[in-house]
Amino acid sequence: MLLGLEHDSVENDALGTERDSKGIRAQIKARFRKWVTRRIPPAREVTLDQRRIFIFPSRVGFFFGSCLLVMLLAAINFENNLSYALTFWLATLFIIAILHTYANLSGLTIRALRAEPAFPGQQSEFNVMIKRSKRRDHFALHLKWPNSSDALVSLVDEDSVIVQLHMAVDTRGWFSPGRLLLESTYPLGLLRCWTLIDLELYALVYPRPLVSTDLPGLATNTPDGAAAFVGGNDDFYGFRGYRKGDSLRQVHWKGLAKQQGLLTKQYTAYADHSVWLDWDMFAGLGTEQRLSHLCYWLLEFDRCGQEYGLRLPTGVIEPALGDKHRDQVLKELALYGKERRAR
Amino acid sequence: MSILRQVPRNALVWIIICLFALVAPHAGRLPIWILALYVVAVIWRLQVHRGRWSFPSRSVKVAMILSGFVGIYASYGSFIGLEPTVALLLIAFALKLVELSHRKDAYVLLFLGYFICITEFLFSQDLLVTLYALVSVTLVTTALVAIHRPGEQEFRLGTIRVASVMLLQAMPLMVVLFFLFPRFGPLWTVPIKSHTAKTGMSDFMKPGDVASLSQSADVAFRVKFDGDIPAKSALYWRGLVFSRIEQGVWSGLGFYDLPASQRRPQEITTDGEPIRYSIIMEPTQQNWLYGLKYARSDTRAVMQTSDFRLFSPVPVETEYMYTVNSWTNVVVDEVLSDWRRKTETELPPTGNAKTRKLSLDLKAKADSDEAFVGLVLDTFRQEPYVYTLRPGLLPEQDSIDAFLFESRRGFCEHYASAFVFMMRAAGVPARVVAGYQGGEINPINKTVIVHQFDAHAWAEVWLASRGWVRVDPTAAVSPQRIEFGLEQAMESEGSFLSTVLLSPLRYRSIPLLNLLRLRYDALTYQWQTWVVGFDNERQFDLLRSFFGETTAKAFAIVLLGSWALVLLPVAISLFLARDIHPVSPLGKHYRIFCKRLARLDLRRGPGETPCQFAQRAAKALPEYADSLWQITELYNQLAYADAKSSAGNAAQDLQHFSAVISRFRPKRHSAALIKGTEL
Repeated sequence: MLLGLEHDSVENDALGTERDSKGIRAQIKARFRKWVTRRIPPAREVTLDQRRIFIFPSRVGFFFGSCLLVMLLAAINFENNLSYALTFWLATLFIIAILHTYANLSGLTIRALRAEPAFPGQQSEFNVMIKRSKRRDHFALHLKWPNSSDALVSLVDEDSVIVQLHMAVDTRGWFSPGRLLLESTYPLGLLRCWTLIDLELYALVYPRPLVSTDLPGLATNTPDGAAAFVGGNDDFYGFRGYRKGDSLRQVHWKGLAKQQGLLTKQYTAYADHSVWLDWDMFAGLGTEQRLSHLCYWLLEFDRCGQEYGLRLPTGVIEPALGDKHRDQVLKELALYGKERRAR
Repeated sequence: MSILRQVPRNALVWIIICLFALVAPHAGRLPIWILALYVVAVIWRLQVHRGRWSFPSRSVKVAMILSGFVGIYASYGSFIGLEPTVALLLIAFALKLVELSHRKDAYVLLFLGYFICITEFLFSQDLLVTLYALVSVTLVTTALVAIHRPGEQEFRLGTIRVASVMLLQAMPLMVVLFFLFPRFGPLWTVPIKSHTAKTGMSDFMKPGDVASLSQSADVAFRVKFDGDIPAKSALYWRGLVFSRIEQGVWSGLGFYDLPASQRRPQEITTDGEPIRYSIIMEPTQQNWLYGLKYARSDTRAVMQTSDFRLFSPVPVETEYMYTVNSWTNVVVDEVLSDWRRKTETELPPTGNAKTRKLSLDLKAKADSDEAFVGLVLDTFRQEPYVYTLRPGLLPEQDSIDAFLFESRRGFCEHYASAFVFMMRAAGVPARVVAGYQGGEINPINKTVIVHQFDAHAWAEVWLASRGWVRVDPTAAVSPQRIEFGLEQAMESEGSFLSTVLLSPLRYRSIPLLNLLRLRYDALTYQWQTWVVGFDNERQFDLLRSFFGETTAKAFAIVLLGSWALVLLPVAISLFLARDIHPVSPLGKHYRIFCKRLARLDLRRGPGETPCQFAQRAAKALPEYADSLWQITELYNQLAYADAKSSAGNAAQDLQHFSAVISRFRPKRHSAALIKGTEL
């Protein structure tokens, strides 16, 4: 019994210290983050200089160092001068490599290009451009956000390169990928040179589309709009010239192939009756659920070519159709109740 | 596999090149199966690369490692010693290639490669070996660079440029460290070379031994005299003393063959200035050193034996340098102990009866020991004895009789041996001395190069009040040998170096080749004194010659100064690469303008035109609005002006612009003021 008690208390202690150490670690991390933010303030474009580049021997470098120590011991024990010379040569090579490794990162400009919007659980594509300003080759630049895919690029024949990194996004709103890690161990792998930069690049995350079988209290501009919507899925009406913003799905591709120019197919049923997606349609549900249902339906309408508008407590988007319109509506949903602009 | 962990194809090619480059200098010392293993390893790895074969499984790997150990044991008989250790390293190197799949394997492989470069030096620190090592290190470094160049799928030579540049930049610092790093003795004993053949004189001598050594053109040692070089005929380099004869074989006395009272050499009083010189021995794997009688060494580790030889407690495994003082006219062993006398007159009880009889006859004729020596030498001189490198075989029994009375053809060891035998038969203490005689003088650096073919054997006779006296019976037979050397002595026979066709010494008659050979030898001497033979004594001398008394401060200054001296230019060369978009002179001035505004937190955004920027700046700094607009307008005018204005005008305009810019110095306080109003 006594033993058991003791055991428990030991366990509690262990848990306590673990919590403490976790707390300390978190504290250190937070402090480091703060320090990095002060040292490398967020910016859309960053040119790497001595303020922004960190350098330290890599694990391989430490291994190399211990190999050098063994070589030195061999030189001492065999009293072999050329072994001394070779050991010193490799040691100074290590020193020279500091400059070369640093030069491989120095002078590079990293610019945030864009991040593709995505639905939760999907991969968003982040586009970053790396550019050099001096005529110097840069090799094996490794880019990675925490949890993103990575890329290894070199600037040899071209002056700039665009890198695409993919990362799964989760919650609705602006998604920040964190600080981008750009590192390189070129040329010898003995030293690791890296930087952590906040490119102010944010991906827009839409609400998660959630299926709902019917659309309660469907609001249309005409009394019989609902019926028209249910009835005519492909009541083809005619063509009109392509206008910017038209859905690509409604482009008459066959016509384009016959060299008739870019035409958009029009459907009767929806041309006249536009639908309103209204915040109040899903009364009684939570915010996220409402947004998810609205998202599902707007995608449905977009797919069918039904003109739709959006009414949210924060604003109204007039009914229209097309990719641009859809993106605008999705963005409105994504940012509902969130900070409007990325920091 | 993550992109970071792959080994690019280009790197694989470099690694394989390294592999062969590193094993090549060891090839002569290795059993043939290890070389075969290298070929198999490379083929296997290439087949893996082509997707034909797969990486070895764990059990295959274990089997290969075990059979490697077994093979080493079978070939060398043990794992202790330098050769088996190096062979094991080389096997590990080859096997690591077979399982090379990740980048971390490549690191292990290449760092092992650096280590193998070092093991080369444990066998030889020759100039050529060193030059070869430079190439190997460059190759290993190139492979190291290549594994960090992803996506290079074809073989490229550009990688070697990066590696060479870095290695060259590292070289000056290496030199500084080499000369400044303190040298101290070994921390613990290390495996010694056990399987390398011993070279030079051996510790016993039978007829024909020296003659066969004389077929070699290798260098035995090099001597540098502080003063003038003595006459060639006086250069008798004593190495070994043979006091015992058993079944026709002469051998020396070991330390424990001597009674305890005889082990210490007698104190010799020296007078007059000695001949001072330093000797650099080529490795022999033996303990004896050479010197002119009577020799004493300043070098700490060199010891002296009771028969006045120089002796190294550890075998000479690498080039070894020691300094010697020699007093040639000193009497050694003025008083001969009874034990010594008995030992130095001892002969086998029977055998060579004719020689013994001749000896006693001559002794009866002579009235002193000295006269007796003269009579014996006269016999050699008057009878038709031939000095030859091809003496022919002598019978095992009574070989001295057979030589003296039948064949009469012999090399130095025959004459020395017969002479000492005759002395001892008459009761005169005598012994055989082996070493080298003469040497080649290199006119370029005034060193004496002693080759193996200078190997010689002569005699020492003890005479009352004169002590041990050198007697060379060969000189009686062939005076040319002593005056001019073996080549002249063998001129009629044509047997000099007849078996070594490729030796440059054979082509001494071609002046250019001979000059090259001597130059290279002089270089080797420099190399051996300054690099191979660099020790703490030399280091101390060097430091003192540079800074007077060595202080920690001077030491630190040299170290830091040299580092700054090397690292700064490297840094500058790295960071001063050419701009991709060169800035015009006009743009440079405009940049200064922007920089001054940036100090006041007014930064020109990317893509902001000068006009837009000026607008924004003027808003923030209304009191500078006039000059801001003036500068911007001027800039636009100059930048976008047509080529109407002549070249002279353009230069003038630029000067005017720069003057305007230099006058423009906005102050911080006004900026702060503006900020305040904005809030």
